[in-house]
Amino acid sequence: MSTFIKDFIEREIVNRRNFLLATAAGMGAMAVPFAFGGGAARAAISDPAIAWSYRDRASAYWNSIVSGGEAFVESLGKPKDSLVSLINEGSSEKSLADIKAFLAKTGGKCAIACDANDSPNARPVVEAVRDAGAYISTIWNKTDDLHPWDISDNYVSHMTWSDEKPAEQTARILFDAMGGKGGVVHLGGIAANNPAIERLNGLKNALKDFPDIELLDAQPADWDTTKGTELMASFLTRFGDKITGVHCANDNIAYGVIEALRAEGIENMPIVAYDGNPEAVKLVMDGKLLATVFTNPHWGGGITAALAYYAATGAFKPSEEPKEHREFYGPTVLVTKKDAADFKAKYLDAVPSYNWKDFWGPSNGQIKYK
Amino acid sequence: MPRILTRENAIRWAPFMVLLALIVLFTAINPSFLSQRNFARIAIAAAPALMVAIGVTFIIVMGSIDLSMEGVVSLTAVLFCFLMLALGGTLASGGWIAIPVILAVGAATGLVNGFIHVKLKIPSFMASLALGFVGTGAAILLTGGDIVKFDDPTFRALLTWRILGFPLMVYVAGLCLVLAWFIQSQTRLGRYFYAVGGGEELAHASGVRVQHVRMAGFSLAGFFYAIAAILQVAKLGQAESVTGSNFMFMSITSVVVGGVALWGGIGGVWNTLVGVLIVAVINNGMVVIGLPDFLQAAVLGLLVIIAVILSTDRRAVAFVK
Repeated sequence: MSTFIKDFIEREIVNRRNFLLATAAGMGAMAVPFAFGGGAARAAISDPAIAWSYRDRASAYWNSIVSGGEAFVESLGKPKDSLVSLINEGSSEKSLADIKAFLAKTGGKCAIACDANDSPNARPVVEAVRDAGAYISTIWNKTDDLHPWDISDNYVSHMTWSDEKPAEQTARILFDAMGGKGGVVHLGGIAANNPAIERLNGLKNALKDFPDIELLDAQPADWDTTKGTELMASFLTRFGDKITGVHCANDNIAYGVIEALRAEGIENMPIVAYDGNPEAVKLVMDGKLLATVFTNPHWGGGITAALAYYAATGAFKPSEEPKEHREFYGPTVLVTKKDAADFKAKYLDAVPSYNWKDFWGPSNGQIKYK
Repeated sequence: MPRILTRENAIRWAPFMVLLALIVLFTAINPSFLSQRNFARIAIAAAPALMVAIGVTFIIVMGSIDLSMEGVVSLTAVLFCFLMLALGGTLASGGWIAIPVILAVGAATGLVNGFIHVKLKIPSFMASLALGFVGTGAAILLTGGDIVKFDDPTFRALLTWRILGFPLMVYVAGLCLVLAWFIQSQTRLGRYFYAVGGGEELAHASGVRVQHVRMAGFSLAGFFYAIAAILQVAKLGQAESVTGSNFMFMSITSVVVGGVALWGGIGGVWNTLVGVLIVAVINNGMVVIGLPDFLQAAVLGLLVIIAVILSTDRRAVAFVK
């Protein structure tokens, strides 16, 4: 080994040691205040402030989440605007900073519902909440190694949705409509997004039972209507009449697909989508879409806030609940032409009023990790 | 007889050659690329983008930049749908009034943009970016994050009614291109854009009212963004607060790929047309030849760089910033 490399390695080792020592000293200094009170979960906050931390207001999905949160605070006899919106605009840094600011403002007397924006951000968020003695329930994003029961009662629960099974069901409906043969294209979400991966996997699972159906291609359309039209147009050039069915990762993409086909004068292509947005349900009723899947974001938004709130007030103690009450799947409802009218009447025309103390009624079992 | 193979000619025609080369390349890999139906598909994808790109071309020729397109397109698209629905929901029932109103709204937002840039002396980059955010925010406020569907069959004829195999909206975009070319080459305003872009002090010393020209330029850009919004609604049958997404990248890339120099004074709407077609052909062609999706972004970036290398006269500038 040349002396240069040897010197370099030694220097790096010393640096790392210094770094570790410095880190330890810093952590020690941070721990000192907690040694004198605070830190541990304070049960029973009498009137916790309530906040929802989420991505943006530019989508029907998050609006629906917030409407559920507002319905919940109204059930407490509080005005709608007592629900504080912490909008992270797709930035994990902002998500964490906003939550820390809210914790500081309320002195930890608060209950927070949160989508941490991306998985790695969930840990710093829940740790900040625990250290302030507040309560939090999360949805969608967290890493597989982070569990509420490992943190403390302050991390009340996590809910997510498994998209693989419902996407498989829509694929089966699609394949039946295609007569069990032909070619299908998949227009997916942003390639690295978890729901995008699960929804494509669902399609692939269904394909195993339909040997005469060929998956011609699967490409990302980024959840976007415009991208959906352009991708579908390109697919038509590449495969032409070979395409006899279209599997879309969400409703927005399906709107674009329908328009791309309409521009070509193609009217009766079997198409399935996902999300159960009001426009998509209408398309299902009109027969332009075969199926979509509803995840009831209104209930999800309300119940996530309710879980954090009632844990904070001491109405229930999270650590006394079984694990399937702390990590669970949210509801999924398949919407097809047969039940679209009923579905619309039940969920869309009038928002159903939920019992926000029935925390786990519509949920779908404990989260399983692969 | 003048020489044809001069360096100037080579550079002038380079973007067009790039476009032809791409068409030949994609056709060689998948012959179905070269079909009238596919060209119609590319034209539909390119029509709204061309309107945005023409708008920003005027600004770039002046040596400024406009990044407000996404917000302005979203806002005008949403307003257009609301106004159409309020006026009865069909073109025939008086909804056509929405078209001139929305074009005026587009021009007015552009004027505000120009005013902030010129009178408050804020760099166009910052002023327009900020105004774009305001536009997106206003669109969210108006829609509450929901989609506004607008499905009048008469209006949608822009997409569904075909002449010689191409939808009506392609011809509308073509007419607007001719209008833009007329403004660029046959009016005083058009010549002033080049004067300001070529050398602002010189233009000012020659008596050009540079501030007015700049504001007029931004207003004209806003007008073209509003046309883009109307075509986008015709294409999708809906408007939402993200209707304008992706137009920023698409339009500025197209303008530069087409050979309009970002430092101003060089190029024009024909360059922009070729640039928009290059980007649209790449986007379509990558799917048509079956390029795996994880390669597409990288290939798009590489092709854009190659196109810019071939189509700009880099010997003409001392430095690039």
